[in-house]
Amino acid sequence: MKRVLAFALAAAASTTALAATDPRDVPTQLSKEWQVKTREVFKQAIEIPSVHNRGQTQKVAELLASQFRAAGIPDSDIHFMPYEALPGDNTTALIVRWRSPHPTKKPMLILGHMDVVEANRADWTFDPFVFREENGYFLGRGTSDMKNGDVATTMAAVKLISQGFKPNRDIVFFYSGDEETRGIGATLGSTKWRNLTDAEFGLNADGGGASYDRNFRPLGFGISMAEKTFQTYFFTTHNPGGHSSRPRPENAIYELADALKALQAHRFTPMQNEITRGYFEERSRQEGDSPLGQQIRAWLANPNDGAAADAIEANPLEVGLTRTRCVATMLKGGHADNALPQSATATVNCRIFPGVQPKDVQAELQALAGPKVEVTPDPLYIGVPTPASPVRADVVNAVKAAAMRFHGKDMHVFPVMSTGASDGSFFRAQGIPVYDVDGSWGISPDDERAHGLDERIPVRAMYDDVLHWEMIFKALAG
Amino acid sequence: MRHLLVAASIIAFASAANGAAPPKLTQAQHDAAHAMFEHVISTPTVIGRHNVPAMAQYVADQFKAGGFPDADIHVMPYHTESATTGADETAGLIVRWRAAGTPKAKPIMLMGHMDVVEAKREDSTTDPFVMTERDGYYYGRGSIDMKDGIVAITQAMINLKAAGFKPKRDIVVLFTGDEETNGLGAKHGASDWLDLLGHPEYGLNADGGGGNFNVDGSPAGFTMQTAEKTFASYTLTVRNRGGHSSKPRKDNAIYSLAHALDKIEAYRFQPMLNETSRAHFAAREQLVTGPLKDAIHRWLANPNDGEAADFIEADENEVGLTRTRCVPTRLFAGHADNALPQLATAMINCRIFPGVDPNAIRTELEHVVADPTVVVTRNDDYVASIASPLRPDVTAAYTNAVHALHPRMPVFPEMSTGASDGRPFRVSGIPVYGVNGGWTITPIDNRAHGKDERLPVQSLYDNVVHWQLMLRDLAGK
Repeated sequence: MKRVLAFALAAAASTTALAATDPRDVPTQLSKEWQVKTREVFKQAIEIPSVHNRGQTQKVAELLASQFRAAGIPDSDIHFMPYEALPGDNTTALIVRWRSPHPTKKPMLILGHMDVVEANRADWTFDPFVFREENGYFLGRGTSDMKNGDVATTMAAVKLISQGFKPNRDIVFFYSGDEETRGIGATLGSTKWRNLTDAEFGLNADGGGASYDRNFRPLGFGISMAEKTFQTYFFTTHNPGGHSSRPRPENAIYELADALKALQAHRFTPMQNEITRGYFEERSRQEGDSPLGQQIRAWLANPNDGAAADAIEANPLEVGLTRTRCVATMLKGGHADNALPQSATATVNCRIFPGVQPKDVQAELQALAGPKVEVTPDPLYIGVPTPASPVRADVVNAVKAAAMRFHGKDMHVFPVMSTGASDGSFFRAQGIPVYDVDGSWGISPDDERAHGLDERIPVRAMYDDVLHWEMIFKALAG
Repeated sequence: MRHLLVAASIIAFASAANGAAPPKLTQAQHDAAHAMFEHVISTPTVIGRHNVPAMAQYVADQFKAGGFPDADIHVMPYHTESATTGADETAGLIVRWRAAGTPKAKPIMLMGHMDVVEAKREDSTTDPFVMTERDGYYYGRGSIDMKDGIVAITQAMINLKAAGFKPKRDIVVLFTGDEETNGLGAKHGASDWLDLLGHPEYGLNADGGGGNFNVDGSPAGFTMQTAEKTFASYTLTVRNRGGHSSKPRKDNAIYSLAHALDKIEAYRFQPMLNETSRAHFAAREQLVTGPLKDAIHRWLANPNDGEAADFIEADENEVGLTRTRCVPTRLFAGHADNALPQLATAMINCRIFPGVDPNAIRTELEHVVADPTVVVTRNDDYVASIASPLRPDVTAAYTNAVHALHPRMPVFPEMSTGASDGRPFRVSGIPVYGVNGGWTITPIDNRAHGKDERLPVQSLYDNVVHWQLMLRDLAGK
């Protein structure tokens, strides 16, 4: 589930209207030799259709493992972890430990996922599982979500090993096989497999990143340090039904409609945490004296200023960042055109503010829906509340140094709270702070194609990401 | 689609029974009816499940075993489909019992439908497609709508033939396979199958008529269906550009639809009276007591007394009789739990008062919803049904059959709130009368299309006798 980089951040960003350079035209700093190696592994990874139920994820794991093995990581530190994700979907996770000869700190965990979202050949302009390079882009399913991150983290390690770099802490790579569906791999990785994955903190390649607008102005580099909890609920009404020629006062569809109207009008209590305060401080600088900028400053000055929070939440750029949000996404009701409905169900998708318990949200929804409506969580996915990860200066400084090298001083680095959910949530829930710090980038909104059609990444973004991770490893384990 | 008790004018208040005791079924006839009922209830003849042809063949086999010649038994496979109901390969059944000698008149057509409305296991107390007998009831989908009528007609004909009855005119059976959805079987019947049906003089439909007792055991009346409200369906559609559900937007297809449904819930169409319903309510006024009696009295005295009409409409037994009614029956929206909906639809089912154009109702719904983002469209092109003129022979035969089994039972003509296979025949000049002989307890057994549909056990066997009496009367003279 890909971060929407910092894109949502700042459509209205910084006003310095320099004659900006197209970042895609800037030459990569990665050597030709490593470009070739990286491209070859990336091509192979993209051409494995590791979609759920296709049984292909094992091949991605073998591809990545073979790079570590060739670099000298012993087989005893390379673990294939098969498991079942969706019923009948046999997938695998890969865990690799790059040992420090003399560890002075607790291990550091690198997170990624090897599965991709389904892509339909008929919908795309080309085969999504044939790797292509065109007009400065690599194209194919998984080029931005997130085989790029798998390849960048692996190749950065391989490159450092080949240069003789010795980390001062173990670096553990954890690549899951079902992030896009159920997150069972991350669940197991953060609990049952903890003896292999335990770490002081985690760095997730499935988030972070920089972005530019269409005029090539830098929009910022957001480090996701918190994410809302994903939880779907069902609103269900029941009725004995009957013949539609004889309508009755009680009607499952009308009762559901009433609950949906109540849901539409409902607003959860505004909340802030360290991460969102950092984010809104940056936004306040970007916005200056605009009405939004003033509203943000008012809310930061007084977190109980609900009117200011409501105004911010109503801005399309900031939706979902001030509180828990729930929205109706699906409806199903009735069984025949000429029969009164015996049941009606609405799917209500919630993104819960970090730290808030899903059962408390359920109780709040039940109260607004009323006694005629049954509110239940989706039994197939029970969200685990995740605390925001504390801001770590070492991580932020490492990212700032990398952002400065590849994008210059105008690319501001700041914390963000993701409104989506990723593998990181499972580790955060189990006490391992996670920071999304991948170094790839794109043009907003043209390159935001994760889960969508004709997914792509700038060629330079792929290559520089290897160097980005090399800098991160050196800074935090050197 | 089932008959619902409601009448238009009193045909006959109970006359003392005419003396002769009604015929009784033998144990073998009783068992045959039970076995056939159990078999057909346990055959889920819902659209899309492909089971109607098997049921048609089964019913055909009963006729064959009863001595009806193969040449006069026709299973008629046909395709049924529409955008809203789905598709199926279904079948009709035509059986012709030829008159002995030269027929005295054109055939009498006996009508029914073999398909049933969907019933979900999880919405029902017991499996709706396993016939369950308890507390004096047969439970199962189709037990009152209307596999009871299929069994009653079939067994009555078999019993009459075994008893040596020789009809003086042809009796022709038409059982259709998609009455609950598209009604194409009845359309075939009124057009390309008409030669096979022998161009009947009139139809007797088991999917209409029937009677009720009140919960206290007092008779609530039997009805003969002569007219029906116009059935028409509409769709409310809201489209939206959608988006990611982590970023809800102000405009949301589901919420717009919820507001539209709320307005339809609150809306009441204009009350209307016609000659038929006026006669019905005049009869009802004599049968009921208390505030309902007062309201009927006030409304008949002053048809502009909307408050009185509203009070009548709110009574469980009178729903749908004072005006056009529309109700949402199905909802559909969205494509993924984590995406904002791009489409939300609601199906609105209307039963339109005779004389009102279904296109005018579409316009009225548009005004009620009053939201240009909610598009109202028609799902069909149905036109109003025509009332069938009362025939003294049919009225007398029905009344006598009812009174043979239920002395002193009031009998009324009925304007049905449902629609039935009768419509294409009525429109093409063949009158149709809903004259089934089954009965239930009102309102607790009003479960056609609903949860835990059920039929009083005794009603099944009474209905076989009822059809025997009707056929002896109408085809035996």
